[in-house]
Amino acid sequence: MNSIFEIDNLNLHYDDFQALKDINIRIEKNKVTALIGPSGCGKSTFLRCLNRMNDLIDSCKITGEIEFKEENIYTSNYDVISLRTKVGMVFQKPNPFPMSIYDNVAYGPRCQGIKDKNILDEIVATSLKSSALYEEVRDRIKESALSLSGGQQQRLCIARAIAMEPEVILMDEPTSALDPIATLRIEELMNELKKKYTIIIVTHSMHQAARISDNTAFFLMGELIEFDKTNKIFTTPKNQKTEDYITGRFG
Amino acid sequence: MSTITRILNRYKNRRTYNKKEFVDKIVRVIFMMSTILSASFIIIIIIFISLKGLTPFVTSNSGIGSVNIISFLTGNVWLTGTAFQSSLYSIGFIIVNTLFIAFLSLLISMPVGVLTALFIAKIASRRISEFLRIVVELLASIPSIVYGLFGSGVILIFVYNLAEAFGIQSRGGNSVLATVLVLALMTLPTITAISEVSIRSVNKDIEQGSLALGATRTQTNFKVILMSAKSGIFASAILGIGRALGEATAVSLVAGNSKSGPSLGVFDITSTLTSTMLEGLKETTGIDYDIRFSVGLVLMVVILLTNLILNYIKKKVGSIDVK
Repeated sequence: MNSIFEIDNLNLHYDDFQALKDINIRIEKNKVTALIGPSGCGKSTFLRCLNRMNDLIDSCKITGEIEFKEENIYTSNYDVISLRTKVGMVFQKPNPFPMSIYDNVAYGPRCQGIKDKNILDEIVATSLKSSALYEEVRDRIKESALSLSGGQQQRLCIARAIAMEPEVILMDEPTSALDPIATLRIEELMNELKKKYTIIIVTHSMHQAARISDNTAFFLMGELIEFDKTNKIFTTPKNQKTEDYITGRFG
Repeated sequence: MSTITRILNRYKNRRTYNKKEFVDKIVRVIFMMSTILSASFIIIIIIFISLKGLTPFVTSNSGIGSVNIISFLTGNVWLTGTAFQSSLYSIGFIIVNTLFIAFLSLLISMPVGVLTALFIAKIASRRISEFLRIVVELLASIPSIVYGLFGSGVILIFVYNLAEAFGIQSRGGNSVLATVLVLALMTLPTITAISEVSIRSVNKDIEQGSLALGATRTQTNFKVILMSAKSGIFASAILGIGRALGEATAVSLVAGNSKSGPSLGVFDITSTLTSTMLEGLKETTGIDYDIRFSVGLVLMVVILLTNLILNYIKKKVGSIDVK
């Protein structure tokens, strides 16, 4: 198996509360991995370990190893900034910056020091095309990103993430704030994106996990209960708890 | 029927409607009276100042002759001739001084205030930022006369020595620079406090979005957080400039009260509309007294216009900037 993330014995504490317990998992490259489980099971926390967004929380303590492309990202001299340019993230609620659509997409490249207008134009156009937003916004690319609808804003956030040409895109319940039609468009988009990127998605919707993912990990109370091919998880789960969850007996 | 339902029904059916309606009416009248009272005071003040302030232009001022409004607004000598014998007052240079000084003081207090606000809201640890927030609030509540005393006791000496170092003999330090420094000090807490609130209220999602794209803390602070807070920061500038234009006591102690101008050199003595109004107000009568109300009238118009212009710009800037 060609894995991009290798996680060994990962434990995470918020002060006294242990949010993740001894997680071991291999994330496959160029596949969609879904993380499912009831609220508070640690799946979002786990996702945020992968681009070190948990660094922002003071009370968060992490032990264990997370290797991204065979390099431990939790060593003190690891370059977090460069990690985040390679591991992009899309959040639960669309969070476009209060600037124009163009400036939103060009933000990441600009932060890395790209100033050439032709290159930026190219990046913006390509990213908007790959996030299936270009046709809708081509005439108002200089208008405020906040004038877009919720679904468009989320696709803009995806465009913003892929403008950096990351290797992995982390998605934290990217459709939970959207209506069914906007959700459908994002899911179609993910099907396109998985040809080029590794996608790790946290989702509350088991249908969504079944529709779009190749592998599924089931989390419960901070533990990784089961991790397998999606069709196996949903048809012949090995663990009783997994079966209970996917058949809707709790969660 | 349960006991509670019975009791409630008894209350509902009591014939109290007329009484309640009467109380409502009384309360409404009391509210309206207090509104009329406070509003009428403002109107009375404006009428009084306008009447007093217009007197020098429309009457003969006990035979001295009326003041020409155009030369009053454009001239560059406070009083040509002797007091009580001449009507040749003008404040054109004082208007320029006032705007010039307010602008310069904002040029100092804006960047310092906004950066302080950013530090308190985003960079400092929780304990330090709580402490600094208290300090800023304390500074904002210090009366202006105290700033004035500090200005005349410390800043004047500093400016005097500074001027000497440049080989310039200043008038005891009374100068544009001293005034600007005192005003910058006075507006700093207001600007910091309001900017800090608007920076702190920027949505955390946006901040995280920026960091997740590989932006550094500094890039996030300047490109995203200040951008998102700019409307509040602009509001702080409006309040700051209001205070700078309207401050009288502290300014009078360090300006030097020049009688002609405009004063554009940093070590020149200067005067503002407020210091001109205040100076000698208690020791004069007749036209020399009334003319200070005319200055007050001009000050009100200047502040009103500045606010209108700044609010217009704020609307333009506050809505997301589109290049």
